[in-house]
Amino acid sequence: MEAAKPANPLEMIAYVLSLQIRDHQVVYVGTGLPMVAAILARKTHAPHITMVYESGGQDPIPGDMPWSVGDPFTWRKAALIQEMAYSFAQAYNGYVDIAFLGFAQVDMYGNVNTHQIGTDFLHPKVRLTGSGGNNDLTSVTENIVLVGLHTPDKFLPRVDFITSVGHLNGGNSRREAGLPGNGPVAVVTNAGVLDFEPATKRMRVQSLQPGMTFEFAQMCTGFELLRPEGDIPVTPVPDRAVLDILRTEVDPHGIFTKIPGL
Amino acid sequence: MSSFSYSREALENLRIADPAILDPLVDIESARKAHLRKDHAKRDKRMSIREAVAEFVQDGDIATDSGFAYVRTPHQAYFEMMRQGKKRLHFIGSPNTNQSYLINYGVCAYSHNSYVGAEMRGSDRNYSRQLLNGKVAILSEWSHGSMAQGFKAAQLGAPGVFSKQLLGSDILRFNPYVKVMQNPMRVDPDPVTFIPALYPDVTVIHVHAADKYGNARIYGPAVNDVALAASARKVIITAEEIVPETDIRYNNKGVVIPFVYVDAVVELPYGAVPGNMPGCYYWSRQWWEKFLRWGTLSDENIREFLDYWVMDSKDPFDFVEKLGGAKWVALSRRMTKTAEYDNEDDGYDFAYQSYKPGSDSGIYY
Repeated sequence: MEAAKPANPLEMIAYVLSLQIRDHQVVYVGTGLPMVAAILARKTHAPHITMVYESGGQDPIPGDMPWSVGDPFTWRKAALIQEMAYSFAQAYNGYVDIAFLGFAQVDMYGNVNTHQIGTDFLHPKVRLTGSGGNNDLTSVTENIVLVGLHTPDKFLPRVDFITSVGHLNGGNSRREAGLPGNGPVAVVTNAGVLDFEPATKRMRVQSLQPGMTFEFAQMCTGFELLRPEGDIPVTPVPDRAVLDILRTEVDPHGIFTKIPGL
Repeated sequence: MSSFSYSREALENLRIADPAILDPLVDIESARKAHLRKDHAKRDKRMSIREAVAEFVQDGDIATDSGFAYVRTPHQAYFEMMRQGKKRLHFIGSPNTNQSYLINYGVCAYSHNSYVGAEMRGSDRNYSRQLLNGKVAILSEWSHGSMAQGFKAAQLGAPGVFSKQLLGSDILRFNPYVKVMQNPMRVDPDPVTFIPALYPDVTVIHVHAADKYGNARIYGPAVNDVALAASARKVIITAEEIVPETDIRYNNKGVVIPFVYVDAVVELPYGAVPGNMPGCYYWSRQWWEKFLRWGTLSDENIREFLDYWVMDSKDPFDFVEKLGGAKWVALSRRMTKTAEYDNEDDGYDFAYQSYKPGSDSGIYY
């Protein structure tokens, strides 16, 4: 039998992200790799999760990969579809366990920028999308997991614009700003999984992908990473069965997990 | 002079010289007067989209981007605003994706921004460029949820809501309307944001069915549209079909807009094309991809693209012909039903050829 191609970096992120989900949780899903991760989790280790989407879909029957958080697949035979104000309200009211969000820039405290590259609001180098639901979910969801590619121009000492507050200035500053929830609990990247040191709330390596060293991860990061005590664990790799599900059932057209040439 | 209190820092950061420009959005008194002045009688309000846009969309109005970017969005009404040459409207919406191309035709000059882009297909380079060129000015910056709360407060008949969103973020530094304050209910320090009720001038809501009076039924995500219909000074309903009042009464699940809000009722099949109309037709993925990957690259591209699709179409039927006509309608209906599990197409393949320059197909599916 032909050996399966190993997971490419996007498939690896999707798999590691899926492991952040525990069975029976309510998961608030954003577009892209979070969708892939949630659907993969549901088809593997967490078959009883409930997926909710910002456009209002509640617990759809999974089908093809949604094209957007407003895709009909996000409300496929959903028991109910909420209005936007109520869909975010359920996160504040404690009915959402975990949310996954992307970023254009992130800093050492897990603050996220999806607004602009450059610090001049009226004359940015590039204007990005703006908040969408990113600020809402990081503000009011109990646990946030950030997901993105790990490069020094994305991992910065200070983001150019704080769209969404992570741990703000570290320590208790998130709580003092009036925000509920734990804030970001993990950052999943192609380097590995990062968490936040409990006292300072600075970003720390939790595990590294196979072949990745702490030094190399540090080179991909624009600020000083904290190192955990002792040996750094290796991030688990998906086995053949999980990869097959990912490739044939979850994202068969490779909308979010295919890298040209790989 | 303004009669409202705005964040001085945000006014400075956004370089808003005269804050009076911000007033109508939070002016409950004028909105209430407009609602009181309306004819509250149950009367036949049917008219054409041309008449409705001509009468109820005035230059300089605060208009809404309703639906969800390209889900049940009244694109064909926006296109009519372009064809009629409406000028210098302020737009507000969550998302506010469709403001972008309206800027190029002078329809939108001011933006209350929450999100412009197409998710994984990237940020909208046109919006970025028009901001830098000064063709559009941002009057306030929001998140989806906080803006939704502003609309919902208006629907609830409340001056505003206290919220946890936006706290600590830079968005607050670019929003003149939202205030940070102590939660009046709490003894311990508990910062909250106060989000005022928001009152746009005019909203267009595209619905599945309405009666001639304006009672309207929606299926799928309502997003902010119920609140927008309640708060806007003027409300235009465009509907896939006009149905008898008895149909609305007998099938009243999903009836979310009462006739008293409504000024105009327009029968407009394919009114959400090229977007997705839940249960009716799927969005034209290739159209959007061509628009985002080629159209937004330059002012010339967007002109060429929208002149062909919009300015040279007189109505949605012309537009559907360009998408592929009857064959597009059949494919599109089948796809949306499949996506929603409304037929037996379990194995239906959603694979498609994504747009690449020069790869225009006859059918934009």
